[in-house]
Amino acid sequence: MKKLCIFILIIAGWQFLVPETGHSIPAFARKYGYNCNMCHTSFTKLNDYGQRIRDNGYQLPGQEGGEKNVFDTPPPIAIRTTTGISVYNVDKGTTTGFDIMGLDLLAAGVLHKNISFMFIYTPRIDEPAADFSGPGNGTNPSQLGALESANLVFSNIVPGALNLRVGRFEPAYHPISSKRSYYISEPYEIYTFTSPSDTLLPSNNFIFDDNQLGVEMTGHFRNGFKYGAGVVNGNGANPDNNTNKDFYLNLFQTFGKGDGQSAGQRIGAFAYYGWQPTSIPSPSDFVVAPTGEANCSCNKPFYRLGGDVSLNWKTFNLQALFMQGMDDKALNVFDTNKDYKFSGGFAELDWSGLWNNRLLASVLFNMVQPPSYDDSRTIKAYSALLRYYLGDWTAVNIALHAEFTHRETGKDDPFKENIFTALLDFDF
Amino acid sequence: MRYLYVLAGITLLLLPSFALAGDNTPTPPPATMVTTNKLGPERIGNLPPVPVPPSNPQTSQKILLGKQLYFDTRLSKDNTISCASCHSPSMGWSDAGPTSSGINKQLGGRRSPPVSNSAYNPLQFWDGRAPSLEEQAKGPIQNPIEMGNTHLVMLRTVQDIPGYADEFKHAFGESNLTIDQVADAIAAFERTVVTTDSPFDRYVKGDISALTSQEKKGLEIFNGKGHCTTCHWGGNLSDGRFHNLGAPQTGPLKEDNGRYDVTKDPQDQGKFKTPTIRDVALRAPYLHSGSDKTLEDVVEFYNKGGGKGVSSLDPMMVPLGLSKSEVKALVAFMTRAMTSLNPEVANVKPIPPSDLPK
Ligand code: HEC
Ligand code: HEC
Repeated sequence: MKKLCIFILIIAGWQFLVPETGHSIPAFARKYGYNCNMCHTSFTKLNDYGQRIRDNGYQLPGQEGGEKNVFDTPPPIAIRTTTGISVYNVDKGTTTGFDIMGLDLLAAGVLHKNISFMFIYTPRIDEPAADFSGPGNGTNPSQLGALESANLVFSNIVPGALNLRVGRFEPAYHPISSKRSYYISEPYEIYTFTSPSDTLLPSNNFIFDDNQLGVEMTGHFRNGFKYGAGVVNGNGANPDNNTNKDFYLNLFQTFGKGDGQSAGQRIGAFAYYGWQPTSIPSPSDFVVAPTGEANCSCNKPFYRLGGDVSLNWKTFNLQALFMQGMDDKALNVFDTNKDYKFSGGFAELDWSGLWNNRLLASVLFNMVQPPSYDDSRTIKAYSALLRYYLGDWTAVNIALHAEFTHRETGKDDPFKENIFTALLDFDF
Repeated sequence: MRYLYVLAGITLLLLPSFALAGDNTPTPPPATMVTTNKLGPERIGNLPPVPVPPSNPQTSQKILLGKQLYFDTRLSKDNTISCASCHSPSMGWSDAGPTSSGINKQLGGRRSPPVSNSAYNPLQFWDGRAPSLEEQAKGPIQNPIEMGNTHLVMLRTVQDIPGYADEFKHAFGESNLTIDQVADAIAAFERTVVTTDSPFDRYVKGDISALTSQEKKGLEIFNGKGHCTTCHWGGNLSDGRFHNLGAPQTGPLKEDNGRYDVTKDPQDQGKFKTPTIRDVALRAPYLHSGSDKTLEDVVEFYNKGGGKGVSSLDPMMVPLGLSKSEVKALVAFMTRAMTSLNPEVANVKPIPPSDLPK
């Protein structure tokens, strides 16, 4: 830990001393020599400009082919770490931890005009333990080693109207990204909510905002209309080996100038239709839900439907999402004669202040409403966040981050949790 | 997915690390390379040496000759207008504007862009219709609303001035005066009108005290929240490309198609070349028709996301959400920090007619 702190200090100091030498950076900022706020309102959230670059296959819109590709530039590698303390408090007491909460290794760039790639690997972090019950001796890593993203984007197959993304990627139906949210811990409850799991009965373990393996078409038109449509393996069961595909469609319309990220307004609707494998057919009919392979006959459907808005006024951004979910009755551990239906959403208000968006304040409200027979899983969560950015250097940034969440689970006598996190968010 | 790992691995291993050495290369790149410059890890600041085309090497005789021609009104039809009338050293190598007036006080449709640092433009004019300074210099002489002359008459005039005839012979070693020689000489002079030493340049070279804290904030916004370096990048703070910002059209022209008139590509409708930010404070008013009086006006224009109701607005134009103090910081950065201190350029005085060749 000490080493990391010293390292951070050295890097930060270096940036102060030699303002034009900062070339160790998040991949895109490094490529162009930009400061973070070129593409982010404040990192990690994209502004309109960053959104347009993302929509255009990581190329500057209108400049396709006019920029250097990965073979002409320094390696487009970036690292993000979040390290700090967390305090977890329930009725029974309080625990604290000092952790590396996340570490992302990222590489991305343009291979050739209109062909680019994105690659994110999260290494496994065993130490210290992730949960609040003390050191887990490596059995409960705070982060799993995972290939979060590895995809190729073929952009402008029809200019503006058709881009193709293949591989593992963050799907477009996920309109308000938890990956680029300011909040560190899983901020949007509804994204991870499903019918409850059970060790004996099949259950749905689809996670709405997890990355997906598949193929996606997207388009963004001059009149502000955007769409995304994809065929993916799903992420609930064994996503790498699923013969039964999930489908989705999402539509957005933006109004005014901007893409609704930091200017202009945006409304959207999304629909996801998936299949959760419940068993392998023979020889024995046992449940394999979390890891099993798919077979059409015993896959059960589920869907997620919803709408979202992002409204901007000056440097305020209000994002809200409402979603309805249905998991097939076969996935309902309470009553296998009834589909499991739930709804919920969130509203987040972000404010960027001080000069060059140095200070970021945000409040977030989450709500999940399960069916009445499962109301002990009702969630209400109230979060607030403050981030202060130490600078806005060429592709290096450090943010001091403090985040608080009060979470109530259950209806009548809810279980109450308080989570406070203070950390250093370091991108380079 | 494995090939992606392999690709990333290869990328890591093979690519030379952090090769930013190009900035300090001692030999000027050939002019043709400038147009193929691609956006990459390109910092603002650090002007490379002026690109000189092999066909027109710099010589001191040529430069002096070019300077005389530049300030000589006898190149125009009625002996009233020189290049310097519209590109005056005392007005940031531009003119009072908003658009330029030529012979007989005729008003042109576009703002006079600066001649200073124009040597770095891959293409000349707001619409890029001239591929080089040499080609560009031939234009104004026979433009009916600028110098209103013909090349033939101008050449005869110059040839009949013995002082010039001598100098041309020295500079080019030929007794037959041609329009190409005139253009070469003017272009050679223009390649010396280069401003490399602003407080910003000193800051980039490591003199941290060269900028005030407000100017530093301005620089940070210029390369960040303001998105300015998207287009104003590289040593000359210009990508040399064409963009439609939806800038208001004022002055005698009702409509200006910009780059479209050159390429006839509908995508180029209303696009104009990105001007340099160097010495920008010396040459108000701004934009292609001089529609914006001050730098504040320009920044406020960007802050709103550019022009209204323009269907082919550049997709890189988005509202910026800049606060008042951020606008001020940007303006401060573009004002003092970007104004050059090069005495050899700042102190260029028009050559009085009495000192011109007789
Ligand atoms: C009557 C005013 C006038 C005169 C005289 C004049 N110019 Fe210009 N100059 C302009 C205007 C206006 C433009 C922009 C025209 C356009 O883009 O269509 C321009 C463009 C240029 C450019 C291109 C700069 C750039 O950034 O693209 C150069 C270089 C230049 N002039 C040099 C000269 C030289 C050399 C002479 C003398 C031979 C000269 N000008 C005479 C008004 C004038
Ligand atoms: C999309 C590309 C682009 C971006 C982004 C951009 N500019 Fe420009 N800039 C241009 C072009 C093109 C022009 C000329 C446009 C015209 O006259 O129609 C211009 C003109 C200017 C001028 C007027 C210069 C002159 O000589 O008339 C200034 C000053 C300026 N920009 C500053 C900025 C600042 C500050 C920012 C960031 C807030 C910025 N630009 C962002 C492309 C851009």
